[in-house]
Amino acid sequence: MDQYLPIVLLLVVALAFAAGSFAASKLLGPSRPTGAKTGPYESGIVPQAPVAARFPVRFFLVAMIFIIFDIEVIFLYPWAVIYHQLNTFGLAEMAAFALVVFVSFAYLVSNGALDWGPVKKLARKAPVNLTRTTTSTVRRVPRPDQLIDGMSPRPVDSEPEPTAEPVGAGAPEA
Amino acid sequence: MIGLLSHTLVGQTVQAPATGCQVTPGKVTGLCQAFNSLHIPVEYRTILPLLVLSIGALVLLVISAVLPKRSRPGLYPLLTVIISGLAAGASVFQWIDVGNHAATKAIGNQIFYDRFSVLFMLLISVATLFGALLSDSYLQREGLDGVEAYVLMLLASTGAMLMAASAGTIMLFLGLEIMSIALYVMTAYHRRRAASGEGGLKYFILGSFSSAIFLYGAALAYGATGTTQFDEMSVFLARTTLPNDGILLGGMALLIVGLGFKVAAVPFHFWSPDVYEAAPTPFTGYMAAVAKAAGFAGLFRVLLEGFHSQEANWRPAIWLIAVLTLLVGSVLAIAQRDLKRMMAYSSISQAGYVLIGLQSASSQGTAGALFYLLTYTFIIAGTFAVIGLVQGEGEARNDLGAIRGLGRRRPGLALVMLLFLLAQAGVPFTSGFLAKFYVIAAAVNRGQYALAIIGMLAAAIAAFFYLRVGLLMYSSPEVDETKEPTDGAALAGLRPIPGFDTPREPALSQGPGAVAASSDGDGAVALLAPPEGRVEIPFTVGITLAVCAAFTIFAGVSSPVLDFAKHATTYF
Repeated sequence: MDQYLPIVLLLVVALAFAAGSFAASKLLGPSRPTGAKTGPYESGIVPQAPVAARFPVRFFLVAMIFIIFDIEVIFLYPWAVIYHQLNTFGLAEMAAFALVVFVSFAYLVSNGALDWGPVKKLARKAPVNLTRTTTSTVRRVPRPDQLIDGMSPRPVDSEPEPTAEPVGAGAPEA
Repeated sequence: MIGLLSHTLVGQTVQAPATGCQVTPGKVTGLCQAFNSLHIPVEYRTILPLLVLSIGALVLLVISAVLPKRSRPGLYPLLTVIISGLAAGASVFQWIDVGNHAATKAIGNQIFYDRFSVLFMLLISVATLFGALLSDSYLQREGLDGVEAYVLMLLASTGAMLMAASAGTIMLFLGLEIMSIALYVMTAYHRRRAASGEGGLKYFILGSFSSAIFLYGAALAYGATGTTQFDEMSVFLARTTLPNDGILLGGMALLIVGLGFKVAAVPFHFWSPDVYEAAPTPFTGYMAAVAKAAGFAGLFRVLLEGFHSQEANWRPAIWLIAVLTLLVGSVLAIAQRDLKRMMAYSSISQAGYVLIGLQSASSQGTAGALFYLLTYTFIIAGTFAVIGLVQGEGEARNDLGAIRGLGRRRPGLALVMLLFLLAQAGVPFTSGFLAKFYVIAAAVNRGQYALAIIGMLAAAIAAFFYLRVGLLMYSSPEVDETKEPTDGAALAGLRPIPGFDTPREPALSQGPGAVAASSDGDGAVALLAPPEGRVEIPFTVGITLAVCAAFTIFAGVSSPVLDFAKHATTYF
């Protein structure tokens, strides 16, 4: 147990330092918050709800690739520790294991998992749906002269409306 | 420090047995034993089919990495067929090899090398072969062609084989996970079908849950018996009377639940219709054969080897599960409008018969169950091959109406489908009859008359929906149109427009026109007009259908396959 004492001490010191730093900045720093200061931007639109941080989905891929190689290293380590006991058998087994991981690596590379930068080749496109027509696909937006005062341009039904309501009539038909 | 220690140990390992380690007693003894036991002789021939499949999967990956993308359509399925053929060959070699020598435990006592596991290896190899043959045309039709499907299939088969050969709960769990993870991905493989992803996620979540339950059961069983090895468990339980067997029973129950999920036994079946419907059709057939067989292999290993002496405790539980599985599967299948969902419930009901064989806990019951699984592999591969053909591109039509009038459009295809349906219904001169006969005979021999009668009743209920599909195939495709009442527009909108392969939602079968058409004596299921145009049978699918049909008749009229299954009941 004695030999672990320095580690425990180090842990305690690290925690104490971190906690102390937080406490010190809280106590020593002046704190006069205002509404404008606490907002994400001092000028601009007040956010309505917390916004999800955006990051490329590629990070998930990298994380998964990392796990593959992380696991390889984790298995390599105990093998290295008892290398002498395992002898040729262990070497052969580890070689087989490393080969399996390498094959997955080769597969990853060939599929462009490690290509960075703007994506050049796009994914295979879905075949165009033959049922698409102009009425089902194109959104019809009212002309400016059809707009009711103060209304933002919004799509209306795709049903053609031969006689437009007079501008400013306001009341929707029952 | 470590170096010194290991050098000391090297000397010890070479000369002294495990108990002779005296390096700083009390501290290193455990380690020292661990070091000694690391020298495990690996008898590679005992896992030959597994090696073939897993190395084959790696080879496929390497080839796909080296070749340009989509360079050769048909290359990967061809290689998969060769690999699974080699695995089947290896299984045959093993069968002869086990016959010449005694059944043994191998590889650190983790693998049973007996005819029971070899039979499953053969079964799984064959199912993989069919899976590859059927996937080729389907994946090309759906624009999903790629190496991944075949690699996943090979890996799932490896896991399934490992389950069948496992000599302990640890290996069983490893096999279960290897198989399941590949199957989750295979279910979600159809990227452009929303249902496919949904089914994959459902399967993944419920499957992980059941794996956790299984693992908990294994832990409790270990706590009660002090071992994870089935044979040691059996010896321990035969020798010892536990004063308080709550932990043992709890472990046993959780193991049954975990494996019962994999074989889709009621009440652990809820995932099955969704997943069967969602997965690409050839994968559904593959899953129905392989996952079910492997799950049952695990159940047999656990219950008949590990808990053999606890028969009195688990047989009532399996009795109840078998009855529920038989009745719920048969009855709910009648209410299905979707072909794949109907086959999912049908496959639940079929699992009930294997459970009857398991419940008998006799070598006759095991032989019947093995024969059942073996023949079902061929039947289900053939059935889903036909469904894959009639459903059309994009799995547009999975409803029962899609198969209507098949007898006129493709008489040969309809005849083969009829054979598979009759086999599943248990009509004589098909393998399905003998399979049902032997499991029920095994139940009768153990005095389980009630179970036998329920089994026969369930077969009678199930015959209804099998025969309904059969009749639909031979009913005229024009019936709907002549009987079409007033609401013609609704149905006309559902008919394919010439020149446009319009995908239609199966949900439309509940539309007004379809409901009106349901009054022509086809039961409560509303039907759409069958798709027009010819059903093309690709070469690979044709071969599979021919082989499956031939086997279904062959196993139904002669005895070699049954003898084969009987030989496999000799456990280690």
